[in-house]
This record gives sequence, C-alpha cells and structure tokens, in this order.
Amino acid sequence: MNLIRAELERLGARRFVQLMIVLLMLAFGVTAATTLAGSHQPSAVELAEAQRQAAANLRGMELEHERCLARDRGEPLPGDEGFYLPPDCSELDPALRDRLPVAADYLTGVFTFTRQAEPLLYFLVAYLVLFGFLVGASYIGADLNSGGVVNLLLWRPRRLTVLGAKLGTLLGAVLTVSVLASLAYLVTFWVIAQVAGYPGPTNAAFWADLGAIWGRGLTLVLLAAATGFAIATMGRHTAAALGAVAAYLVVWELGGRIVLQILEVARPDQLMLASYVGAWLAGEVRFWDSTACRTVVDSYCDGSYTLTWQPALAVLLLLTAGLSASAFAIFRRRDLI
Amino acid sequence: MTSGVIEIEGLRKTFHSLRRGRRVAVDGFDLLVEAGQVHGFLGPNGSGKTTTLRALLGLVRADDGRMRVLGAAAPEQLPQVAGRVGAIVESPQFYGNFTGYRTLRLLALAGGVPVSRVDEVLEQVGLADRGDERVKGYSLGMKQRLAVASALLKRPELLILDEPANGLDPAGIREMRDLVRALAANGVTVLVSSHILAEIQLICDHVTIISRGRRVTAGPVTEVLAGFDHNEHLVRVDDPARAEELLLAAGLTVTGHADHLVVSGVPDPTEVSRTLGEQGVWVRELTPLRPDLESVFLELTGAPAHPGVPRQVDGSTPAGGPAADQEIDLGVRGVDA
Repeated sequence: MNLIRAELERLGARRFVQLMIVLLMLAFGVTAATTLAGSHQPSAVELAEAQRQAAANLRGMELEHERCLARDRGEPLPGDEGFYLPPDCSELDPALRDRLPVAADYLTGVFTFTRQAEPLLYFLVAYLVLFGFLVGASYIGADLNSGGVVNLLLWRPRRLTVLGAKLGTLLGAVLTVSVLASLAYLVTFWVIAQVAGYPGPTNAAFWADLGAIWGRGLTLVLLAAATGFAIATMGRHTAAALGAVAAYLVVWELGGRIVLQILEVARPDQLMLASYVGAWLAGEVRFWDSTACRTVVDSYCDGSYTLTWQPALAVLLLLTAGLSASAFAIFRRRDLI
Repeated sequence: MTSGVIEIEGLRKTFHSLRRGRRVAVDGFDLLVEAGQVHGFLGPNGSGKTTTLRALLGLVRADDGRMRVLGAAAPEQLPQVAGRVGAIVESPQFYGNFTGYRTLRLLALAGGVPVSRVDEVLEQVGLADRGDERVKGYSLGMKQRLAVASALLKRPELLILDEPANGLDPAGIREMRDLVRALAANGVTVLVSSHILAEIQLICDHVTIISRGRRVTAGPVTEVLAGFDHNEHLVRVDDPARAEELLLAAGLTVTGHADHLVVSGVPDPTEVSRTLGEQGVWVRELTPLRPDLESVFLELTGAPAHPGVPRQVDGSTPAGGPAADQEIDLGVRGVDA
C-alpha cells in the first residue's frame, strides 16, 4: 500500500502528467467556450418551426415508402412518378431507419446535446487514449532511463511487485482522471445545452448508447495506457513506445495496406488494428471488400462485412495482455545496468 | 563456516551483446566482508566492481556463484534483508523537478520508513538547508550527498557505497569520511568502492582489490600494505656513487638515481647508516619507503600506462608483477562453501 501511495505521488508530481492534464483542461475549456459562444437557446418559434420541418420530413419519408408499397401491389403511384424507388421497399421504411428526423436537426446556431454528445465524447476519448498511452510510456520509460527503478529496487527488491505496483497505479490513476474528466465534460455540455442551447429529446436508449460509448472509451484508454507502459518497459525508454507505434502506423497501417491492395488480399481491413479499435469504440464497423464481388457480374453482390465489438475486444485484450506479459517476463530477467 | 555480512564466492557474470560480442565482467570473484568492517573495494575502471555490487543487490543476474547478504541468499532472499541494507550504486539519478526532500520522502514511503527520518538524513549529509530545492539545481556533489542520504534512510546495518566521494569537493570528501567513520563507530558495516585510494586507506580497515573480474588481493589494509613492503629506504648522501659502492659491497640491493639511492631489503635502517658512517660517508637523509594503497593498487592491477601509450579501460596487465591473473596470498580467510 505504501508503495502504491509513493508511486501515486510520484506519478502525480511528474511534469509530463501535469502538462497533459493542463492541455486536457485547455482543450476542454476552448471547446466549451466556443460552443457556448456559438449557441443560443432556441425561441418557441424556432423550436416550433424545427418541429414542423422534422414532422414534414418524416411525413415525406412515409409517403415515399407508401409509393413503393403501392408499386409492389400494382396500384397507381401517388405523387411524382419519375422518382426512383428501390426494388426492396424496406430500404425506405422509416421504422427501419437508424434514426428519424427530429427537431434538433433543423435548429441552426443551437448546440443540441443529443446530437453532439456522441462526437464530443469521441473527441474526449481520443484525447484520453493519447493521454493514457503517453503517460503510461513516459512514466516507466523515464523511470527506467533515469535510474528511478533501480533506486526503488534497492528498497523493494521484488521486481514483479514493483512493476505491478507501477502498472496498477498507472491504470488506477488514468481511470480516475478519465472518469472525472469525462463526467465533468459531459455535465458541462449538458449544462451549456440547458442554458444556451437545446438538450434534445433524451430517453433511456440515448443514455444507454452514450454510456456504452463511454464505457468502451474508458476501456480503450486503459488498454492504451497498458500498451504504452508495456512497450516502454520492453524498450527501456519512452521513445521506444512512441517509435513502435509510429513504425506500426507507417509500416503496417499505411505501407502494409497498400501492399495488401496490390496483392488483392481479401478483407485487408481485418488485418489492421485500427479497424478493431474503431469497431470496439463504435460497437461495430462496416467495411467494403473490393475483392468479394469481382467474379459476380450478373447478380447483386454485397461486398460489405462487419466487425463487431466482441472480436474487437478479444483482439485488443490479447494484444495488450501479450505485450504486458512480455514486458513483465523481460523485466524480471533483465540486467539493470 | 564464516559469518560474513557479505559473502561472495565464485561470482561470474558475462555480458552478451550483438555488437560487442561476449564480455566477461566478473570471473570467479570472491569477497568476504565481516560485521563491523569498513571494507574498501578497489579496482580499475571496468574491472567488475559495479557489476559485482549490482549482482549482490539483485540488479544484475549472476551466471554462477554464491552470494549472501546479512545471511540471506542473494538475490532470492534479498527482500528479507533489504530493509537493513542501504546502498548506492554508481551515480544515482533522481527526478530533476523533485526536491531533495520529496525524493527521499517517496523512497521512505515506498520502503515503509517513517517520513520523519527524511529530515534527519538530510541533516546528516549536510543538505538540511537545501532539501526544498529541486534536484536539477544540485551540484554533482549535492546529488551524491542525496544518494547517501537515501541509503541512510533505513538506518542500515550494512551500507554499500559505490564511489560515494564522486563529485565531492575536498571538504565534502572529509565530511563523507567522518560520516563513514561515525557510522562504523555505531556498528554499521560499510563496503565502499572508490577510486580515491588515499581515502580508502584513511577510512577502511579491510580492502579487496579486483582486476579483470577477479580478486587479486584482500585482507586488512595493514597486512595488504605490509605484503608489499620491500623494506626500501631512500638515502641521500653527498657522494652517491661512493655510497652505492659501499652498500653493494655490504651485500645490499641498491638502485641509483640522479640525486639519491634506494636501498632494498633492509629491515633495519641502522645497517645503512652504519655501513656508510664507518667509511666516512655521512647520511643526509634516510627515509623508509612504505607502500601506500595507491602503489599497491597500481602494482597489482598493472595500471600504469607505458610511456606514450594511453592505458585502456581495465588495462590490467599480468606482466611485470603479480597482477590480474594471480591472487596475492595474504592469508585471507575465504568464504566457506
């Protein structure tokens, strides 16, 4: 417990951590201020007009669906006959749409919480992932490079305990900062929507979706922190983690992708870590495989495929666990010179 | 069965590097430090001193050999005795933006030492007034004092100091000497490695010299010095040539120099003065040439460079003396298996 207290204090006192938190608050403040400055509370007239437009749009969608169904029944088509109708009318069924038009879609210059909470949260998660990775890498990297770990091992000559305490402290601290930052972030924008914008129609499904993104985002932050920590431990230096990620992105995500396309390998996105990160964060991601329909010429071919969060989580967990286990195994036997 | 505070027997360590290949750092080294000793540990650069200390403290994995610290097998049982061992190994590094006080406080926290001890050790090493300054503003000597303070935090029974006088000014060296003496007077066993041989001679009662990873001599300082006392005397007379003739005729071994003679193998200097006086040659100066630790060290490790040839790191040479590859037998008690 004393070791964790000491590590927590050491982590909190690090300049880099403080700098990253200041930058987080700065980004948070700028985003909130610009949102506040660019938004106003909609008047009753604006709201009524937006609701009318949403209702009209919805009605238009229903009419289009009606026309399609009428065509299938062989009845005369109401309205504009030249309008394209798909072979499968379910494509036009409003009930099957991901979302229906709402009043917020027609409010201009108004910050609507229900519309913008999700992208705002993605932005925060992206920052926190970067925060977690860099803090994780620099925390152990600087300690290994400066001899801080050696000093500590002279006091606590249990390598795995020391490294485990450091990793545990890091994950606990990153999780705490992430939870507090994201709650403060969402609450602030909720308040902005209340006083200078439009909260939008919230229901249990909205909060559940937002909560799911939040939970998955926090998990991703922890995985990023552990990955940065593990790579820097293996490489003995913060730069090792940064270099490894840069090399991976350039060599595999960029170069490898080009090579896979030239070789016409099926579903290359399945081989990219970024796809799994996206799938985990968004719940699922749909990709198009250009090789799937190459031989299909006279019939409909859907070359798309989906990556869902379950395999994405498995891949990310395996990767992080593998790197962490390797880091502990190497650190256990390494000569600290 | 010996009961050494530090027992090392047959320690071997080889470093492997893709670039530089295989390098034997320690090659069957033995060391015995008994309770209450202030034990000097000497060797040229690269001779294996720091590797030995690191292996003893569990920072480097030994390839072979047996080590015990305070009766506990090292490194396996080190955690059991770590609270009783204070150590600094080579120039310790600290976080530059932490104050000296905070640096020690975190170590005290991690090691379960009362934080009140921090002020005591800062006072002890002369940093009481500078403890609230950032370490990056410390001079090398102040950092060294801080390192010693960190080693003293635990009120150790055994203190291992690797180059504690590194960077210290003459006053600091004297303070360090007084500190080591005071600790020894309080029953602390001290193992100190240093290049400042005069210091070692002043503060240590026992010494071990290592060269090329092997022990070349060990024992009480007085015995080590006595082993190299060739009963030499410096003789100055008005007519050195005549004096040399007389002394040679008397069966003594004489080496002539420009303005003096060196007579070897004379346990009693009156033999020189009588031989010369009886023939009317009057002695102006008759000084016994006693070996000091530096001359013994240089003789054992073959460290003096050949004229015009820069000496390489660990340039110990077995030629011209009993250096490096053979141990001087001073009747030193070895470590029982």
